[in-house]
Amino acid sequence: MSDPATDFRRYLEPRTLARIGSLDLRARLIVEGLMAGMHRSPYHGISVEFAQHRQYVPGDDIRHVDWKVFAKTDKVYLKQYQEETNLHLICVVDASESMGYGSVGDGQASWSKYDHATAIAAALSYLVIRQQDSVGLAIFDNELRRYFKPSNSPGQWKTITHELLQVPRLKKTGTGRVLDQLAEKLTHRSLVVVLSDFFDDMDSVQQGLRHLRYRKHEVIAFQVLDPMEVEFPFQDVTLFKGLEEMGQLLTEPQSLRQGYLAELSAFTTQLKKMCRGVHIDFTQLNSGQPLDVALSGFLAVRAASIR
Amino acid sequence: MVMTFQPALAFALVSPLLFWAGAGLVSVPIVIHILNRRRFKVVPWAAMEFLLRAMKKNRRRLRFEQLLLLATRCLVLLLAGLALSRPLGCQDSSLADLAGRRTGLHVFVIGNGYSMAYQADRAGAKTHLDQAKIIAKALIQRLSSGGESVAIVTASSPPVQIVSSPIYDLKAAEDAVNRIEQSYGATDEAGALALARDIARREPVNSNKTLYLIDDSTRVAWQTQGEVIGQLGRELAGLYKSGITHFNLGKPGQWNQAVVDLAPADSLVTSRFPANMVADVRGYGPCPTEPRMVLKLDGVALAPGVMNVRATAAASPQTITVNGLTPGIHVFTASLFSDNRLPIDDVRYRAVNVVGQIKVLIVEGERGVGGQGSSGAFLDAALNPSGYAASNDSKSAGYVATERISDLEWGDKVLSDYRCVCLCGVGQIQETQAAQLEQFVREGGTVMVFMGDPVTAENYNATLYKHHLLPGPLTKRIVVSGDQTPRRFDFDPHRPLNRLLADFQNQEQTGMDSAEVYSYWQMDLPADSPAERVLNFLPAAGTPNQPEDPAITVHSLGAGQVVFYATSADPNAEWTTFMPHPAYPALMHMLLLGTTRGNDSWMNVLVNHSLRVPPSIRWTAAPVLKDGNQTEYPMELETVTDATSVYFGQSQYASKPLAKPGVYSLSTGADNYKIAVNVPAAQEADVRTLDDTEVRKSLGDVEIDMQGDSVPAPALEAEQGKDLGWGVMVVVLALLAMECFMAMRFGHHWRK
Repeated sequence: MSDPATDFRRYLEPRTLARIGSLDLRARLIVEGLMAGMHRSPYHGISVEFAQHRQYVPGDDIRHVDWKVFAKTDKVYLKQYQEETNLHLICVVDASESMGYGSVGDGQASWSKYDHATAIAAALSYLVIRQQDSVGLAIFDNELRRYFKPSNSPGQWKTITHELLQVPRLKKTGTGRVLDQLAEKLTHRSLVVVLSDFFDDMDSVQQGLRHLRYRKHEVIAFQVLDPMEVEFPFQDVTLFKGLEEMGQLLTEPQSLRQGYLAELSAFTTQLKKMCRGVHIDFTQLNSGQPLDVALSGFLAVRAASIR
Repeated sequence: MVMTFQPALAFALVSPLLFWAGAGLVSVPIVIHILNRRRFKVVPWAAMEFLLRAMKKNRRRLRFEQLLLLATRCLVLLLAGLALSRPLGCQDSSLADLAGRRTGLHVFVIGNGYSMAYQADRAGAKTHLDQAKIIAKALIQRLSSGGESVAIVTASSPPVQIVSSPIYDLKAAEDAVNRIEQSYGATDEAGALALARDIARREPVNSNKTLYLIDDSTRVAWQTQGEVIGQLGRELAGLYKSGITHFNLGKPGQWNQAVVDLAPADSLVTSRFPANMVADVRGYGPCPTEPRMVLKLDGVALAPGVMNVRATAAASPQTITVNGLTPGIHVFTASLFSDNRLPIDDVRYRAVNVVGQIKVLIVEGERGVGGQGSSGAFLDAALNPSGYAASNDSKSAGYVATERISDLEWGDKVLSDYRCVCLCGVGQIQETQAAQLEQFVREGGTVMVFMGDPVTAENYNATLYKHHLLPGPLTKRIVVSGDQTPRRFDFDPHRPLNRLLADFQNQEQTGMDSAEVYSYWQMDLPADSPAERVLNFLPAAGTPNQPEDPAITVHSLGAGQVVFYATSADPNAEWTTFMPHPAYPALMHMLLLGTTRGNDSWMNVLVNHSLRVPPSIRWTAAPVLKDGNQTEYPMELETVTDATSVYFGQSQYASKPLAKPGVYSLSTGADNYKIAVNVPAAQEADVRTLDDTEVRKSLGDVEIDMQGDSVPAPALEAEQGKDLGWGVMVVVLALLAMECFMAMRFGHHWRK
């Protein structure tokens, strides 16, 4: 009997798979749409699928004029095509100490933010591999701990989930620096999905994300938070011991709740604003909520925005 | 310019212990706060940065909120203790006036003796009592419901607290005042004040107490038992710290005329002789006119009909001679016709037992030869001269039925069958016989003790004197020898004579002064003896300064009387030559009539007293007592508990106290008795009032607020102490609400 804590299958919730399994077509479309957005070739070549018309402007290549439309409308339009290319998905998972916090469940069955991030990474990886695209993995804390370059081999998914399970969550966070590193490392345009709580210096995170965007990578940011972090429901006098050497605080949580939530909200707003500014999709996920709902919701929204 | 400061809030605490308890409990929130800081959960926390930032931004505000909550909780406990300790605001504190709710005990002593029935003609109040009720109710209506309690005492004898304990239901207190009835009894001001004192003593020491005295301030009510009332006044001033207020309802110049007494002049009324009925009519205050009076016998006016009488404050007896009385119980009624404002005491009743014949038992100690030789024969002839030559002296007209026996036959006789027992030279008296005689006298009989040769000091002192049948011990038999001057009575008809010798006043040739006495028994009569010296012996010749020995004495014993006659009643004994004198029979009759009682005193009762029927009255059926309206009053058997009563330990029938005057009838089965119930006019008829100074002096010169006879202005009660407890409790509740709101606001009661 395998250890539940180290069994990758815990990340393959049948419900989750069922939910997103039906999305694989959509996903592909979405991914492909995404790819179309990201990887759209500046030159539309042959053997590509027709995508849409564009009005002719002087200087365009007349080889792509749709003469049938001209015949019908006396207006000149160009055809545009989608290029089928391989999607490179990189799951960048924060494995710092703060990601190890989890209040959902208890004991061996506890569910931390890292578990949630890992589940998301596993689901997305599974999706991409099924559509015969490539998926890679980067695990980091205060530095890049593991990197697996994208591959669409059948064993890649297992490798990814296995690696995710092995990493201890003991170190502090260095998100910005790692993203910088990753931006330099990636040779191919990729879809980079960052799974973190982003409890780090905002400027450095911003710099890292911008660097990725500069490199023409598509970035999706998933901020994973624990329900306790979101609601702060503590009532009795509590000694909060900060992870990642953040000190400790003895206080009456009720009196501090509003202030804490205001700070968290301000941080998240700033993060969201920053992501929007560099065209990064930002989603906040609650590790206490069902993954399938959150993930399918995100994919559906994204698909709608692509169309 | 001098500045003075009034205390903004001055108060005293009814229960200081509760306040200190509250003060001590103030430490509880602080202790809880400290303990809470020691007991905490430990939570590893990832989002520490936000927490620290929040703490940094809100540190001051958080500290302030915590301190504010802590202070509020401490204050709630402190004020709760203060509220429960019932702070009472003092007189001059404006804040106390504003915030306080009055509390305290208010005791009303309301006079309702019959003098309060005086018709003072006030608007809306016919009598003093009506006005007293109006004032009392007006004061009660101004009291604070729920905080102030009321006790009510009525001053008519016996004084009564008409609700068993002070009541907070002010409506019920007003109803109780309404139910106060006009009593026909006298005022017992001292008793009522004592009740008020006892009520105050039962209340907590620190509570406010106010006393209201509402009466007509008659001098007879306030100055009788003056010392007692003065002492009570000082005690009351110490107990009723919130003050004593007196409402004087007496009108200056109020006056009254009343029949304060009606009684026969003689202790015995017989059908053989005219009876003198004496009515004591008094007038008090500035009486504008003299009253008129009529005397009735069993409801029929007697001659001379309505007559003018003098009515003064001093005794002014009016004597009416009544002829033609028949034996039996009769009721005399004296009614005044007067414009006085207190008609209650204008009528007086007297039940009189008119005796047809007086049965006298003569016990002889010596039997002589023939009917006249015994020691009691001459007395027998004197009292009952039938068989002798008829006499014009009405007193010897055969109203006495004598029975003469030897002392050996004494034991066969029931003494209560007789009105008088005469011992004529009886020698050895047994202890049981003496006891029997004492009982007889105490129950109303008369004993006349005559000396004789068989009498010995040893025996008489050991028996008769022991049983109070002699006023003093016999000491020595005085015997005048042949060559000595015989003794004589100290009698001068022109000097004031004892009442029993009144008929001899100014009478010459009675023989009282010339009778010779050769032998008599000397008695050691103390100077302060209550015995009446009817007649004395002159001292022996040549010893003018010697004290006079008593010749005839009369003393009371219980309901009866005892006559001691120091010499012999037997002319054969050669003790005295008095017997043949014409004064002798008259004297015997006068002694008999003057000491024999009609035994009708129990038929004359004062209002608010019970009718107690002597056990000697024979019953053949359950007693039935009814008034003039045929209303029945139950009679119950009770054991006589008065140790001084001759009937001590025996059972007798008694009624509840009779509240109204009038003529009642008592049926015993075989006999019917008339019962006269009268108002205590002697105690209450004098309606002359005291002024405020005199009332204050009567109460021991204590501080009293003297008011007139009208409803007081509202400002009167402004000086009452106010209970701030309710105000403080409102503040506590407000603080509690504020604490809840703050706790909620500060996030201390957040729930998902």
